[in-house]
Amino acid sequence: MGARIERVDTAAVVRGSLQGRRFNPGGLAFEASLLLMLLVSLAVLVTLLADIIGGAIPVFRDRGLDFVTSGITLDSDTAGVWTGLLGSVAITLVVAVVAFPMGIGAAIYLEEYAPGNSMTRFIQTNIRNLAGVPSIVYGLLGLAVFVRLVDLIGLGGSGSTAGRNVVSAGITLAVLVLPIVIITASEALRAVPDAIREAGFGVGATRWEVVRHHVLPAAAPGVLTGTVLALARAFGETAPLLVIGVATGFFSAGSASVFDRLTGTYTALPVVVLSWSRQADPAFKEHLAPAAILVLLVVLFVANAAAITLRNKYDRDW
Amino acid sequence: MTELRSHFYEQLQELERNLVLMGEHGVQMLTDAIGALIVSDVDAARVVMDADDVVDDLYLQVHHEWLEVMARQTPVAIDLRLMSVILHVNSHLERIADLAVTIAKITRKSEGLPHDPTIISHLQEMGDIVTSMVRAVMEAFTARDLDAALALPEMDRPVNRLNRRMVRKVAALSADPELLEWGVRMIVVARTLERAGDNAVDIAEQIAFLLTGEFREFTDASHHD
Amino acid sequence: MNRAVTHDGEAAVAARGPGHVASRPISATVSDRSEPLADNPDIFKVRGLNVHYGEFHAVKGVSMAIRQNEITALIGPSGCGKSTVLRCFNRMNDLIEIARVSGSIEYHGVDLYGRDVDPVQVRRHIGMVFQKPNPFPKSIYDNVAFGPKIAGFDGNLDQLVEESLTRAALWDEVKDKLNGSAYALSGGQQQRLCIARAIATSPDVVLMDEPASSLDPIATLRIEELMQDLKEDYSIVIVTHNMQQAARVSDRTAFFTVDTEQTGQRTGVLVEYDVTSRIFTNPREQRTEDYITGRFG
Repeated sequence: MGARIERVDTAAVVRGSLQGRRFNPGGLAFEASLLLMLLVSLAVLVTLLADIIGGAIPVFRDRGLDFVTSGITLDSDTAGVWTGLLGSVAITLVVAVVAFPMGIGAAIYLEEYAPGNSMTRFIQTNIRNLAGVPSIVYGLLGLAVFVRLVDLIGLGGSGSTAGRNVVSAGITLAVLVLPIVIITASEALRAVPDAIREAGFGVGATRWEVVRHHVLPAAAPGVLTGTVLALARAFGETAPLLVIGVATGFFSAGSASVFDRLTGTYTALPVVVLSWSRQADPAFKEHLAPAAILVLLVVLFVANAAAITLRNKYDRDW
Repeated sequence: MTELRSHFYEQLQELERNLVLMGEHGVQMLTDAIGALIVSDVDAARVVMDADDVVDDLYLQVHHEWLEVMARQTPVAIDLRLMSVILHVNSHLERIADLAVTIAKITRKSEGLPHDPTIISHLQEMGDIVTSMVRAVMEAFTARDLDAALALPEMDRPVNRLNRRMVRKVAALSADPELLEWGVRMIVVARTLERAGDNAVDIAEQIAFLLTGEFREFTDASHHD
Repeated sequence: MNRAVTHDGEAAVAARGPGHVASRPISATVSDRSEPLADNPDIFKVRGLNVHYGEFHAVKGVSMAIRQNEITALIGPSGCGKSTVLRCFNRMNDLIEIARVSGSIEYHGVDLYGRDVDPVQVRRHIGMVFQKPNPFPKSIYDNVAFGPKIAGFDGNLDQLVEESLTRAALWDEVKDKLNGSAYALSGGQQQRLCIARAIATSPDVVLMDEPASSLDPIATLRIEELMQDLKEDYSIVIVTHNMQQAARVSDRTAFFTVDTEQTGQRTGVLVEYDVTSRIFTNPREQRTEDYITGRFG
């Protein structure tokens, strides 16, 4: 017979382990370093913001909302972001019109109708890859295809810049955000419990009736959130626009008709920021550009807040 | 709230109804058997013997239904005690009917023999008490009356007393061999009636078990009282 | 659910319950109990049913007949295919891509898997209640109204909703909150809502896949009581892993088990199908007895 097993007094052991302070240096150090990383990131952001706001304040102090409602001029006292804002809004509208139906439709097909075979999985993988493609590539695509396409179908406007308008820009950016729309809509659809679908089929609904009456309404908050985020992304894109011919300098629409303005030269808010930051006049670089950035940030902030509010409002506990 | 397990309770009520029916038959058979014995009516005795078929059918029916309820309803607590009681009472009531048949058979076998009026009247008395005991205990069962059930042993005392005195009484009969033969058969009748009374007391014990959850023997057969 | 009491004596006994004191003795009329399983016609005839999920042979060679206006229980250990068989009756297995059904199921004489049979129509006649209550994330009213609406019902929808909820023993509890969310109901209420939803399309069969397994005992008994009431108008097939439930509730019971082939493949087969009281008092097959007595290995 080997060693005796010592009887352990369980109660005493438990008492000992429950009472008394624990000093854990490793854990504390780890927690401290995490906190440090957070603080550094925040510090960088805060510094950035402070810099921007610092530069922007004089503009708003002197001119107030006039800055937002004025168009582009060469004069730093009168230049404003209105043209850029309009251009960005127009582009975003085109993105919405093009990307949403296509993206949501594609997501519905992939999630609800497509057979679960390797072809479907292949498509889904590639959509994910497309979401990671650098945006400038879409710019090249837009230049090669959409500018010409828009011109061909009669929406190209006139002159040497035929085809280089908010329509082709919108289509290009729509294609850019399309993978994002598809992915987020797919995830929202996938999050709808299968039990709901089964229940729908159980009472004799067709697949479309199940999707239309039960799956889509339940997925709507998630789909909406995803699309708002996609729009916000499109709003802030710069590189593709540069490739497909956004105006970077001064231009005026003058008294042109709405159609002409929509099919003619345009600019976008991020591009305005870019061009102002390259002006020789320091007023543009140091004040107007930050002010424009601030406007851009406000728009993006509002968009994200809207997305979150929408999600919280309609989010349900299954 | 709607009643739950209504089908189960319907089945329990059905079983009880059948037992009550058996009890009524038993009472009737006892009454008729004693009546036939008193006036030595062999045809009436035959009727009693035939009536046993009805009771036997009921016995089998109760048993069959009992098995099904037991298998399908998994009764517990008071339902389980009731099932146990039903099984026992079924057995006792079938026995009581059989005992009535025994008396009827003795009537037939005693055809033509002389009789003693005193003994006859004692048997009548015993029969009346036993019949009323069966009636009383079945009423106690349907009414779930514990006090009524506890009263049964008291009703049984005169029956036991009368039974004990039968042997001496018969021994005191004249030496007429036919009368003695009759007398001996009457001892058996008395004994049969006493056993019927015991069965009624057993049913009362079952009622007490159902209502209290405890099983107690009411009387110990080995004691004199 | 009020059922008219026919005999006086019955009323006295019924009023009392088994443990209470009654004031009147009962009249000893033997109630006229005709054999409850008299010849109800067949509503489903299953012949040689086999189900494969891709390579996996889930159910083999099932043949049985489900009778009208009866409650038929399918019991057996996990993996024996009872849910798979149930879902064949309303073609829910069609929704699983790799599922393949062979053999035949006749419903009122029509081959359910016939070429020109529309599964959507099938599911309007053969309703289903699932294991975990799954009401739509809509109001109580909309839950019940959905099926009839898409089936083209053009009568009084309010009345239909009320009738369905009444039949499912839920009306009194929800009549004042029809527009409230179905999710605000308790589990037992949600399941009764799902039953109301299923019967709103006027099916003649209701399939139930372990309908009470996620409910507490009282809610379970209420569903069982409801089933007894429903079988007057519907034929009910219930899958349950609770044997006592099958014993209490069903008229006929089918026992399935898992056969392990030499290849190691485990396939569900039908072992015995008989009147429930027979199955639970004196089954014919040893395997049946082993399972229901709990001696199953």
